[in-house]
Amino acid sequence: MQASRARLFKEYKEVQREKSADPDIQLVCDDSNIFKWTALIKGPSETPFEGGVFQLAFAVPEQYPLQPPQVRFLTKIFHPNVHFKTGEICLDILKNAWSPAWTLQSVCRAIIALMAHPEPDSPLNCDSGNLLRSGDTRGYQSMARMYTRLAAMPKKG
Amino acid sequence: MDSSDDDFYSGEAMDDDYDYYNSDDAEDNDDYEFIEEDPDEDIDNLTSRRQQQSYTVLKEDDICQRQEDDITRVSTVLSISRVDASILLRHYNWCVSKVHDAWFADEDGVRKSVGLLEKPLVQFPNAKELTCGICFESYARDEVLSAVCGHPFCSACWRGYISATVNDGPGCLTLRCPDPSCRAAIGQDMIDKLASGEDKAKYCRYLIRSYVEDNRKTKWCPAPGCEYAVDFAAGSGNFDVWCLCSYSFCWNCTEEAHRPVDCGTVSKWILKNCAESENMNWILANSKPCPKCKRPIEKNQGCMHMTCSPPCKFEFCWLCLGAWSDHGERTGGFYACNRYETAKQQGDYDEAERRREMAKNSLEKYTHYYERWASNQSSRQKALADLHQMQTVHLEKLSDIQCTPESQLKFIIEAWLQIVECRRVLKWTYAYGYYLPEHELAKKQFFEYLQGEAESGLERLHQCAEKELQQFLTDESPSKEFNDFRTKLAGLTSVTKNYFENLVRALENGLADVDSHAACSKTTSSKHAGGASKGKSGRGKGSSRTGGSHDTGR
Repeated sequence: MQASRARLFKEYKEVQREKSADPDIQLVCDDSNIFKWTALIKGPSETPFEGGVFQLAFAVPEQYPLQPPQVRFLTKIFHPNVHFKTGEICLDILKNAWSPAWTLQSVCRAIIALMAHPEPDSPLNCDSGNLLRSGDTRGYQSMARMYTRLAAMPKKG
Repeated sequence: MDSSDDDFYSGEAMDDDYDYYNSDDAEDNDDYEFIEEDPDEDIDNLTSRRQQQSYTVLKEDDICQRQEDDITRVSTVLSISRVDASILLRHYNWCVSKVHDAWFADEDGVRKSVGLLEKPLVQFPNAKELTCGICFESYARDEVLSAVCGHPFCSACWRGYISATVNDGPGCLTLRCPDPSCRAAIGQDMIDKLASGEDKAKYCRYLIRSYVEDNRKTKWCPAPGCEYAVDFAAGSGNFDVWCLCSYSFCWNCTEEAHRPVDCGTVSKWILKNCAESENMNWILANSKPCPKCKRPIEKNQGCMHMTCSPPCKFEFCWLCLGAWSDHGERTGGFYACNRYETAKQQGDYDEAERRREMAKNSLEKYTHYYERWASNQSSRQKALADLHQMQTVHLEKLSDIQCTPESQLKFIIEAWLQIVECRRVLKWTYAYGYYLPEHELAKKQFFEYLQGEAESGLERLHQCAEKELQQFLTDESPSKEFNDFRTKLAGLTSVTKNYFENLVRALENGLADVDSHAACSKTTSSKHAGGASKGKSGRGKGSSRTGGSHDTGR
């Protein structure tokens, strides 16, 4: 508990110091609980998520960093490896390929990379995965773009 | 189950001839009158074959010793540390020759995939302080530790990292540096240096388990609570092994030992015994659905006038399944429904009726074989218990009463061991018999003849060991008849052994003798069975056996 708190505090200070360092990621620690974090990440360019801002929720376990944090999308997203209803993310480094040298920041980077490079063969969102697997890139992109517009962009007017 | 056979044979041959289970019989029985046949060449051969062991039972010490030896060999030949040798061996499933082959073919490739680095990836020549890659705290240089790669972590974080992986399961054996981009393997030296005593013990446990479980040539004894492993070397096609815990099992399929029946038949039989399908068959054979509500009804007595149970209460005729109200004098009386007979003559009922009849026959056949299989099974359990009782209690008592040293009472133990083994063989011959095709009449007759001979021999032996021994246990003083008893029991043991060896041999070559002597199946003596043919019939022999069973050396 003490070790994870100390480590999270380090990360917190790092985030404060580097606030401008990675313009795509904005990590915020909960006001009252250092084990709860949220992040805002920018949809990567040249993907259907470009222009959107997606919110992630982090639940950090007491054994962190020996155990990975639990991360899910709060913003609705149409992506093969993200559960459409719960926002749960299927990503190896959040499961068995976790290493204690990863940080919340690097997890965000990995998620941005996943948005740009979906893995349709292990889908949590089968509809999305099937579109990609059947080669219907256009169908996938327009669906994903629509949900980005609907959920991840500020409403106009 | 059996596709990997070839690998056992491609591995290096083990030449150890361990004689853990080696009943040296037949030597003091030669003069016994009961032996109808000369102990001819065949039997000598068979005896020696039984003693040629193709397996070794390993205790924990033996396992560790072998593991150490293998590590030493690899470490010496490749000139690498023992820790690295252990990592390599584990990667190649503890096969020394595979490690050597891979290493000398492509050392760099092997080093890369296994994670054995030769020099550090990162170096901090001038730094006084280093930052731990996990807790991000700064430490004096001598407070941080690294694997060969050089990535620095403090000892508390190392301990936590190792502990988390060790408690996660055997994956800890392939531990890597915590840095995600680094593939450097973490060996036992780091574990020894950093882990808690409990974690170290767990790690060692996993290492030993890996040596047995990942190794193609070894398996744990499947008996509950048994901690021995069995190392099986190529050679004979006989997969039956006897563990030191006295459990015998088939090394190939890890079911209990089932020689002479092949693994395929055994797994079919076991599946059949637990399959619900037999219940369905019973229902099909012994019941008919109520013509109205379709619930299955068993008719266990009484007349053909059936009344279905409430709420249906439909009244119908069991034979023709028509409504009872249509029945009466004009249909031929209440007790003989001529509608049924007529319809049967017209062929209306044939399909359903034939199916029912067949199910009934097949069920009766199955029940026949199953009952005998099961009763030999329980008989064997009882014999095992009796053997134990004999060894622990009765033998000493008997020795006192009859004033005979225990070493001279060995023949009793041998008799019981023979009974236990014969019950096992006999049991499995019933599974064999069940799958023997009906139309191969000559084979079936021959099989049943051999089985009958063996069975009656065994019954005599069992009777003698169980009942006739009793009186000598209650004697007040040494009995004169005890010597006769010895001669009789030893003789029965040897005769029964012969019968069973004939039976085993005959089944193992698929009753091939019948093909060459098809006409004289009734007159074939059991002696015949062993001698004649070494032809192999495909029938009844799963591929698992034929692959390696041309061993018989006849």
